[in-house]
Amino acid sequence: MASDQDLVVGTVKDILSGFEPFVLTAERRWDAGLWSALGDAGLTGVGLPEEAGGSGGELADAVAIVRTLAAGAAAVPVAEQLLVAGPALVAADLELPSPEEPTTFAVADAVTVHPVDNGDGPGRFTLSGTVADVAWAGAARHVVVLAPAPAGMEGAVLALVDASSLPAGDAFNLAGEPRGSLVLDQVGTSGALLTVGQADEVRARYALARAVQMAAALEQVLAWTVQYAGERHQFGRPLGKFQAIQMELAEMAGEVTAVTALTDAAVQSLDRAENVVPAAAAAKVRAGAAVEVVARLAHQVHGAIGFTQEHKLHHLTRRLWSWRDEAGSELVWSRVLASGLLAGGPDELWPALTRAV
Amino acid sequence: MSNSLTLAPAPRSEAAEQVRAEVREFLAAELAAGTFRTHVDTWLSGVDPAFSKKLGERGWLGMTWPKRYGGHERSAMERYAVTEELLAAGAPVAAHWIADRQSGPNLLTYGTEKQREEILPRIVAGECFFVIGMSEPDSGSDLASIRTRAMRNGDGDWVVNGAKVWTSNAHHSHYGIVLVRTSPADPSSRHAGMSQLLVDLSLPGISINPIRILDGGHHFNEVVFEDVVVPGDMLLGEEGNGWHQVTAELAFERSGPERFLSTYPLVAEFGRRVAETGDPGQLAALGRLSARLLALRQMSLRIAAALDRGELPNIPAALVKDVGTTFEADVVEEVRKVVDVTPSLDSPDPLARALAEAQLHQPGFTLRGGTNEILRGIVARGLGLR
Repeated sequence: MASDQDLVVGTVKDILSGFEPFVLTAERRWDAGLWSALGDAGLTGVGLPEEAGGSGGELADAVAIVRTLAAGAAAVPVAEQLLVAGPALVAADLELPSPEEPTTFAVADAVTVHPVDNGDGPGRFTLSGTVADVAWAGAARHVVVLAPAPAGMEGAVLALVDASSLPAGDAFNLAGEPRGSLVLDQVGTSGALLTVGQADEVRARYALARAVQMAAALEQVLAWTVQYAGERHQFGRPLGKFQAIQMELAEMAGEVTAVTALTDAAVQSLDRAENVVPAAAAAKVRAGAAVEVVARLAHQVHGAIGFTQEHKLHHLTRRLWSWRDEAGSELVWSRVLASGLLAGGPDELWPALTRAV
Repeated sequence: MSNSLTLAPAPRSEAAEQVRAEVREFLAAELAAGTFRTHVDTWLSGVDPAFSKKLGERGWLGMTWPKRYGGHERSAMERYAVTEELLAAGAPVAAHWIADRQSGPNLLTYGTEKQREEILPRIVAGECFFVIGMSEPDSGSDLASIRTRAMRNGDGDWVVNGAKVWTSNAHHSHYGIVLVRTSPADPSSRHAGMSQLLVDLSLPGISINPIRILDGGHHFNEVVFEDVVVPGDMLLGEEGNGWHQVTAELAFERSGPERFLSTYPLVAEFGRRVAETGDPGQLAALGRLSARLLALRQMSLRIAAALDRGELPNIPAALVKDVGTTFEADVVEEVRKVVDVTPSLDSPDPLARALAEAQLHQPGFTLRGGTNEILRGIVARGLGLR
């Protein structure tokens, strides 16, 4: 299907072809070379307005970049920067760091925030406490933190924290992507007070970003598995000629198609500036549910070689097993979704469903 | 992913949202007046010709068909909204369902002018109901193995002998579109030699025998043809083209919201229970079911949009039906895992009743209109594996 995003996707693929996915370790926790190449091409600011220092372009372009990189198991914080941290800063009227400096996002429920008025006017806060599960901790230069509002105030604070001098704890997800903690001790930052609704939107954007990544990775896993089933011969014919294998691949295709349809629709609702919470919650839950089926069947069809680091499959299946519970687990988002759908009353579930996405 | 499985996202349709609101208002009034009660799987079991006629009067049947046949020339997206609202309310739509969904479109594509002029306006009015004459006692998934025969007699009419099964609501219907062999089976070309006949079910020689489903309901029938003389001009489409015509029906048959909303009334009852208890486990289960349902709506809407573009996306339709019917069947297990309730058709608890209805109808969901195994074979072809 030809789309307006073909050009940007082609550019990302060209760059990506020079950077093979590798096994992430504590020593080599991200792909700094790929990040530089993407930054040089202006791709780490796409979808962020030029007047704020971004590269301009549509949300659809940013999503296409995130999808392409996710399918390529790229170890860079592009989803966080283009779909969460950057848009949240722009929406809150906070200064955007240079797109070439990696900026990630974290929900920091355990951080306490105090407003300060040091003569620079409003919008200055000090933050103290531990920010857990920071995606790309130790790699990202900046962290956009969503923390509870100061005592006595409603909502939340969105703050931009300079992480370059903060030591990152060593913690990693199932794919080896860094998810360490940052300890803030009276860190002074610029920030903005968000309403409860605005804070919910930011969390939902984070979940949707992971759903977009999952959708792309699931599609790629299906494509790899179909290809492998065509190449691998047993009993004198390709695996894909066996009906048992065809049933498994068809089941995978059903899951992938469901995730893609819902995630695309959720992204469109983001573009229409609607309340994105139900759509993002649904996309996150649906993508997460598909991971179980698609990863299990992909490994089953690939056989023993897929169970090793010699084969590429693990780059995506390990990420998928992590992403489904990041940015709010399936459990959390399924409750958020259901609570929202029932908010209008016990007899209003159906109308709520038809409005949700 | 293979292009044959991928469809463009559906555009938003304001017209669809408009008609959705009208249908919702109509259904609320009908429910309040007690003209129907909500049940599970009403597109199989909810026969109510008076209700179908009301829908016809409102302009909600034959919605996409040309005005010269009584149709309303509205979009597939608008029709989608109407059918979805009717199913979600568990309204009695079985009488007209097949005629409106696929027999009418089949006549529009292959019917003669006379056939269309005579029959389509009656379908639009909610006064003419159809059955699908495909499966036979010895031909289920292997449809090409059918044995019902039609031979030309000296007058140019067709003499039909054989039997069709699972013909839903034949005892309430006026016509069947019956797939027959018009040439002897040819092992080297299994799909050749079949044709579709438009058969008036009141013709002499037709007997309709009930086949009861698990809950005792009479919806299925065996329709037996003994030397039934069908007028020569009731051939539908081309002689020998039956297989192709049957295949073309499938995008209509397999992609609609009835492929994932058959148990929605159970979901609605479950939602009421969750709202009452606030139980976190139930809330999570409702969220998981809702996410699956919302994905299916988007998949099915993409098909409706493709139909509006004039496409016949058979492979994506097979995929939607596989995923959708799996969902509507799974609802039963998802609910009973988190709610302490004993299913019973005569319980005072509406959740127990809906659960019982859904359980007893559940095995049919992944069989009717092509088993999920057959559908996955079609999807596998879409993936380039066959």
